[in-house]
Amino acid sequence: MGDQPAFTLQIDQNKYLPLDGREVHAILTVSSTGTVTTTTSVPAEAAEVIIVDTSGSMSGGKIREARQAAASAVQALRDGVNFAVIAGTDTARVIYPRGRTMARASRATRAEAQTAIGRLSANGGTSIGEWLLLARDLLDAHPDAIRHALLMTDGQNNESSDAFARALSACSGRFVCDSLGVGSDWVPAELRKVSEALLGTFDFVRNQSDLSAFFNRITQESMSKTVAELALRVWVPQTATLTFVKQVSPTLLDLTGKRADVNPLTGDYPTGSWGAEEREYHLCVEVPPGQIGTEIRAGWVKLVRPDTQEVLASGNVLAQWTDDLAQSTRINGKVAHYTGQAELHELIQEGLSARAAGHVDVATARLAKARQIAAESGREDTARLLDKVVEVDPRDGTARLRRNVDKADEIELDTGSVRTSRLRQGGEGS
Amino acid sequence: MTCPLCAAPVLAEHAFCEACGHELGAPACAACGAQAVDADGYCERCGLRQPTGRDEAELTLPGGAAAVTHKGLRRARNEDAMALLEAGDVTVAVVCDGVGSSPRADEASAVAVEIAAPALARGTGPAEAFALAGKAVAKLGSSPDDAPACTYVSAVVAGGRATLAWAGDSRVYWLPHGAGPVSAVRLTDDHATSTGEITAWLGADAGDWKPSVRVFEPPGPGSLLVCSDGLWRYLDGHTVPGTAVHPDGRPLDLARELLRHALGCGGHDNVTIVLIPLGGQHG
Repeated sequence: MGDQPAFTLQIDQNKYLPLDGREVHAILTVSSTGTVTTTTSVPAEAAEVIIVDTSGSMSGGKIREARQAAASAVQALRDGVNFAVIAGTDTARVIYPRGRTMARASRATRAEAQTAIGRLSANGGTSIGEWLLLARDLLDAHPDAIRHALLMTDGQNNESSDAFARALSACSGRFVCDSLGVGSDWVPAELRKVSEALLGTFDFVRNQSDLSAFFNRITQESMSKTVAELALRVWVPQTATLTFVKQVSPTLLDLTGKRADVNPLTGDYPTGSWGAEEREYHLCVEVPPGQIGTEIRAGWVKLVRPDTQEVLASGNVLAQWTDDLAQSTRINGKVAHYTGQAELHELIQEGLSARAAGHVDVATARLAKARQIAAESGREDTARLLDKVVEVDPRDGTARLRRNVDKADEIELDTGSVRTSRLRQGGEGS
Repeated sequence: MTCPLCAAPVLAEHAFCEACGHELGAPACAACGAQAVDADGYCERCGLRQPTGRDEAELTLPGGAAAVTHKGLRRARNEDAMALLEAGDVTVAVVCDGVGSSPRADEASAVAVEIAAPALARGTGPAEAFALAGKAVAKLGSSPDDAPACTYVSAVVAGGRATLAWAGDSRVYWLPHGAGPVSAVRLTDDHATSTGEITAWLGADAGDWKPSVRVFEPPGPGSLLVCSDGLWRYLDGHTVPGTAVHPDGRPLDLARELLRHALGCGGHDNVTIVLIPLGGQHG
């Protein structure tokens, strides 16, 4: 891997704990400083599966939209990339190329694939798990490639939740999947599961005219990956508990449940494939009570390639007990920022669920609080969307839900809440 | 035999645990006892950062002088440094306290005592030894903005009297031997403002400084106390039990007693205490 970029791992925290302090928080910033690009070096082999929902719920405008989206995705594929297109109903079938192998992208194969996509019509049930399993089988034939799938659906899955969960778990760690929601009655919940299991994003593109740009971005990002699969390897002391490990930037993704034990004190948390990029993780460790002045390593974090055990970067999360309140009460700026971003996401999710269930008081309280955090943390887009759902009186702060909310605004708010803002330079509290 | 990390059975001749890969035969942890201290100084089982020699150290000389240094309860490391040595009839003590606002202050204090103490033992004059230490500390800095710095106090005891030299706020006291509780008598004046900022130090940004020098002849038997501000900030109004300063008492016990007092008062800073018996039958 001569093209492999260099990685750095930086830890932001306040290591000082009060005498009864048990929780250690830290933000890990992992940067890949490599300048590996598709024009200056040989790109890593890539394999891309495009999955189009062709179930009955997609009929009418949505299937047209999905066909256009899939055609744009194919157009964005770089020459030489292995690719296939799957049409999904209650079963999955490869509509391009023929059979169970992938094609190499070229002007000719892209055109053939777009013709096949143009013939798609909507008819039948929806089993997203089945589609992903077929994608996995296709991608498994390219073990050395950066493997990626792109799923276009309205999210109305009618598979049993057990079958869906089994399929997700069978695909987890095999490839990364980004999803695109189609239509204005799109259901984000199922795609959130896909994104969490397969470490991808899920997006909603509001205007048809933005689709090409969206696919260019997604496929460029996918094809710019140069390292297939990295894990965060986290050690904590025998008497401590790793409470959570979350990706907090660019999007929120809880990795806590994805632990693979390395030994009783150490676990690997998958992070998917990497290009030249920067991501941030929030780690929380519960430590046993300590004595004044004592310093411990509360967490030892390494970025590793699980296949070779190679350590690319590492860092220490520390804890030191003090009776000096000036030291122990200082909250690290980054920890505070991402704690706020996670709270914002939860408030939006809880607020929208309560609103859907008719619990007006809960919905109003959550969404109004979310509006306040969004404004304070520089999430102008989110604040603007929240304004379309909840109305806050600037004079006395009283809030009420708006009556007529555009479904598209609600979906955009729902899907967009996982995106976090970065802490501004010299941001408050840091 | 079992692995200290995962408790899997291991063979004595193995270098690594076959179950978890832990390197066997590592130093034992000061807290949990696991043979699991890694190269960075942390226990791989309980996480404790192991105390380093400098965090907590004691020293005694055949002639009876004793010294203790401790990182205190609030600081992550000990930036004080001390040297205590004998050469013939001469006893030399040097204490330096790294200036907290300077970078790598622990290196500054370590270098200063390392240079000054042997020079004084060779018979170099107190101002000259100070200048040698000052030059060595100045070399640690790359610019006035990156200048490790420390205070300085030296005591050379010979022929029944002590020659003291200092810059900054590390001090020398006299503890007379007596039957009842005794208060420490200060022998040095700080170079510091009324708010406590020091006005003299060793370092690249220190300028061309001459230390204050004083010769002290003891009025009777007692102990010379050389210390950093981590101790003396708690000495005001404090009396030392007479028994501890009794001619039969060991200076090391008195040094430990003073350290306990400093830690008991909060241990806000690094603490360094050197005691040299002087006067009376000690010569």
